[in-house]
Amino acid sequence: MNKTKRIENTFDVVRILIAILLAYLIALIILALISDDPWNVISLFIIGPFNSKKHVGDIFTLMIPLVFTGLCMCFVYAINKFNLAGEGAVNLGGCLAACVAIALRDTAVPGWIAIILCIIVGALAGMLSTAIPAIADQVFHADVCVISLMLNYILLYFTTYILKNVIKDQGASVTASYKLGRKVKLANLIPGTQIHIGLLIALACVVFVAILFYKMPFGYKMRAVGVNPSFARYIGIPVGSTIILSQVIGGAFAGMGGSVQILGMFPRYKWESLTGYGFDGLMIAVLARKNPVLVPLSAFLIAYIRTGASLVATKTQIPPEFVSIIQGIIIVLVAAEMFLSGWKKRLIFSAAKKSLKEKEAKA
Amino acid sequence: MEALKMENITKIYPNGFVANKGITFSVQEGEIHALVGENGAGKTTLMKVLFGMEQPQEGRIYVGGKQVKITSPLDAIAKGVGMVHQHFMLVPSMTVAQNVTLGIEPRKHGLVDNEACVKMTQQLSDKYQFGLDATATVSELSVGLMQKVEILKALARGAKVLILDEPTAVLTPQETKELFEQLKLLKKSGHSVIFISHKLEEVMELCDNVTILRHGYCNGSYPISELDERKLSRLMVGRDVILKIEKPDPKPGKPVLEVKNLEKLSDEGKVVLDHISFTIREGEVLGIAGVEGNGQNYLSDCISGMQKYDGGDVLLNGKSISGRKISDIRRSGMSHIPEDRMTVGCVSTMSIMDNVMADRFDRPENMKGIFLDQQKAIAQTDALIKEFEISCDDRSEEIRLLSGGNIQKVVVAREFTSGANFVLANQPTRGVDVGTAEMIRKYLVRQVREKQIASLLISADLNEVLEVSDRLLVIRQGKIVAAFSKASMVSEDELGEYMLGIKTMTPDEMEGLL
Amino acid sequence: MSALRIGSFLYSVLRLSTPLIFAALSAAICEKAGLFNMAAESMMLWGALIGVMVNGWTGSVWLGFLGGCCAGVVTGLLIALATVKGKADLMLAQIAINLASSGGTIFMLYVVTGDKSTSAMTIKSQSLPKIALPFLKNVPVIGRMLNNQNLLTYGAILAAILLMIFIKRSRTGVHIRAVGENPNAAESVGISVSKTYFLTWAISGLLGGIGGVFMSMGYTSAFTKNMVAGRGYIGLCASSMVRGNPIGAMLCAMVFGVSDAIANQLQLTNAPVDLVMMLPYAVTIIVLIIISVIKIRTHVRKIKNKASQVKDQPGILPAGLSLSLDSLYGIASGPCSAAAAGGSSV
Repeated sequence: MNKTKRIENTFDVVRILIAILLAYLIALIILALISDDPWNVISLFIIGPFNSKKHVGDIFTLMIPLVFTGLCMCFVYAINKFNLAGEGAVNLGGCLAACVAIALRDTAVPGWIAIILCIIVGALAGMLSTAIPAIADQVFHADVCVISLMLNYILLYFTTYILKNVIKDQGASVTASYKLGRKVKLANLIPGTQIHIGLLIALACVVFVAILFYKMPFGYKMRAVGVNPSFARYIGIPVGSTIILSQVIGGAFAGMGGSVQILGMFPRYKWESLTGYGFDGLMIAVLARKNPVLVPLSAFLIAYIRTGASLVATKTQIPPEFVSIIQGIIIVLVAAEMFLSGWKKRLIFSAAKKSLKEKEAKA
Repeated sequence: MEALKMENITKIYPNGFVANKGITFSVQEGEIHALVGENGAGKTTLMKVLFGMEQPQEGRIYVGGKQVKITSPLDAIAKGVGMVHQHFMLVPSMTVAQNVTLGIEPRKHGLVDNEACVKMTQQLSDKYQFGLDATATVSELSVGLMQKVEILKALARGAKVLILDEPTAVLTPQETKELFEQLKLLKKSGHSVIFISHKLEEVMELCDNVTILRHGYCNGSYPISELDERKLSRLMVGRDVILKIEKPDPKPGKPVLEVKNLEKLSDEGKVVLDHISFTIREGEVLGIAGVEGNGQNYLSDCISGMQKYDGGDVLLNGKSISGRKISDIRRSGMSHIPEDRMTVGCVSTMSIMDNVMADRFDRPENMKGIFLDQQKAIAQTDALIKEFEISCDDRSEEIRLLSGGNIQKVVVAREFTSGANFVLANQPTRGVDVGTAEMIRKYLVRQVREKQIASLLISADLNEVLEVSDRLLVIRQGKIVAAFSKASMVSEDELGEYMLGIKTMTPDEMEGLL
Repeated sequence: MSALRIGSFLYSVLRLSTPLIFAALSAAICEKAGLFNMAAESMMLWGALIGVMVNGWTGSVWLGFLGGCCAGVVTGLLIALATVKGKADLMLAQIAINLASSGGTIFMLYVVTGDKSTSAMTIKSQSLPKIALPFLKNVPVIGRMLNNQNLLTYGAILAAILLMIFIKRSRTGVHIRAVGENPNAAESVGISVSKTYFLTWAISGLLGGIGGVFMSMGYTSAFTKNMVAGRGYIGLCASSMVRGNPIGAMLCAMVFGVSDAIANQLQLTNAPVDLVMMLPYAVTIIVLIIISVIKIRTHVRKIKNKASQVKDQPGILPAGLSLSLDSLYGIASGPCSAAAAGGSSV
């Protein structure tokens, strides 16, 4: 029987790889078709992210918020509730962190305390964002996915309202907040790139979440509730509160992601649209198969794809949105059980037949 | 004339489970053919193959002498094969006529002609004397009538071969009798019936021939006239053993579980537990016998805290469980082997260790500070795997890859070692292989005697209730209808009469036995 | 004066409701088939974009309309392909399709026009005609409300009625309901569940596509990126309020249209634009929660009513009276003599 398990494991890995390759192939064909200079564009897309220190730096910089939202979606996906408020949580976290930074800018509060305060506020904002759909779902049985998608719009308009009416710098040429101040700027990690301390914070979070998932009682409860809620109830795990709590904890990471991104990358807050990090996070969690340890790896992959796309965008005007097509294809292929399942079935069938024969031979 | 033949059918499920192995059998025209076997012998799978719901890896099917390939129920219907499933395949909100004509609706002006539907259904019902009202809504019919709608559905589609999957399991004796009359009528009109059953007396009464399945293999076909019940059951089960468990007399101590006037309404508003009272003491097993579906599962859910009850009370070690969380009830001495081991009793996609530790991973002795103590978990799991002889690769193997018996061992291992002084065992050996069942029963008795714990055994398996229990109650229609002080002194015949409602004890007779 | 204003307000309610009605109908047909349609958003986006593109190429609004419909159907079929053929998780697949569509439409717009946000400057597309109903001209309020609406606004109301008839009376509609209520039952009489799902998604896509066409060729006259802005989800909400009844879904969509219209009116005042924009979404969330609470309440009440009805009647249990082999003797341990004895005693 262990054969079956082994076949399944190998198969899963191969399947994800094939899905990614397939999606890439489709993207390349599209790029080749629409571009005047296909070879250049394709090489820019594939090799571009690695062709200079700055570009590699860009991958890691982009990885930072994606790791945070990927962790958030691991919680959400682990308990099988598609709470997508992590997307809006990034905006809210970033916006409120910016408010705190601006409020503390001209005070005597030391920089590191200000940064910690900003990140905590971001985390709280994220928790609030994901708590609303989670509670609506558990208490009122309203669909968590729809509520969270609606909430994303509300969070977006709420943060733009704050941007335009509370923290807007009238002196700036575009819609942007006051300067956040130098003291909250997250320190650069590697000169010549934009990689900042946020990367370390993100990786620390990965370690923390991995421990929470696999070494602490809460992680166990969460996994059990996610796979089989009726078992969890029977064995005495509080199902409802576990479901809500894990979404709330997940939201904290999305909110932190927003605040870290703002503090690390921008001198002013100026998000007027959803960032897409939350949705990317879902995909990262799907690719990582809910395993937080694999989140940095899949976040790196997405960051690589996105970096390639924005390189293509700056050189050729092709909008980076084409990446979302790749992402859609990957998610669908990875989620589709039947994708390559004929192959898997044949493998397992022949293994079962073989062991049957062995048994008969013995008897 | 041969109506149907299945030859050398082999079906292996994607998880590697071999459900049918080289099965061959045939049905004549105008014959009622029984297909019998234990739970999990492969009867239902075989019929699913015949009805096109599963594709076999090997084998051929002949209808009317011609080889055919049946790839879907539609195919099967077109070839004149109809099936009445164990779980009815009806659309509750639609009428009888709409259900019977579903998929073959007559049309007028491009829309469904409701009048023609009703007319067609009514005619068919009258022809075979089914006595159905074609305009009634299905959700309001009795179970027996629903089954008739199912048969009518197959006939309306021109079925010549009718498969009935355990049709009498849900019927009253009256309804069963009626069904048999109708089946004999169908036989006379040239239809063939494949009758899947567990009930030997019904097979003997109704059928002409019988094919026996055992563990996925075919164990021969015989004319009924050559068999008696005894021989037939030996062919099915293959062993002729009466379970005997040696146990010392109980020394009942103080009460552990007290159930007082327990009342429960189902979601549909039916009274499913009607003023049930009993007490279980330390060191004894109380058995509850009864035909399945008489309130046993509600009783088990109420006592274990899975469902709230509507009246009366349940006291565990002197404290009411009402309004308490399941974790709290478990902590105060409850352990529970649930009836449905796959969806309630375990997490099939987690490892043996995760399943064994599920109720104790966060106990202080299994923690290192705020972290789980991996070493302790490993040690405990390995010890239990050894003690319960769970055959597996190692502790990290996922539950779904184990056999049914080994899965149940995991559940039993966890529940018996949780440190509780009350074990609620609901159908603990159903669908489990002989060896494991015996082991579980003996273990239950030993634990109760040695550790002076109390146990409630709910089982539809008479052999089990009679041998394992000390005292015995019989439940029927949500009520306790009989009580015996010594289970081993009760005969099957007597018990059967109480279970079927032929006899009932008065409260005075049961006085002092509850 | 005030009658005129009410009339104008209702006119805009109807106009703003139109895409919501199509989205709601798109969700309603899915609900009848037991499916959860979160992807009306994508169907509408593609309908809106392709409609404008075909219109621009051919110069014909009608071909544009047709193109938009096809785009919606294709989107629906893609979901069916992924979930029915590919057995992908329905939620995950729809989230993926929504993600791919919001980016994909922008990408396609760029490929075709070179513009990344709107087709207004680059594609010459028209709007579907408005229909004048002269006989309504002098009726107060109603006249103002109904007259001169876009063709598709009348189309939306007609679509709701047609969908109602389709679901209730057509053969396919009956099959869709059967699949929605008990897929096994449908399968057992040879109704192909997967074909029914494909068909349902196609019809759903058609309705969503028309809703999209209205967005870009009725409500406005160009495609703008992310112009659907959650209307698909609002439609889903409207449909789930009435369990997929098409007429009911239409009326609920109109209620959401009111909140849209109010938001539009408020934008003309001094109220902060961004807060006003939150209104339709906030209303949706609140309504969704209220419906869910009502659903639970009525369910509980039903149980209680039934309980009080049956409590006085004796003998209410549908007892399985027959003794099965399983129950009479241990099938697992297999003692045959006990079985024979027990069996013959019955």
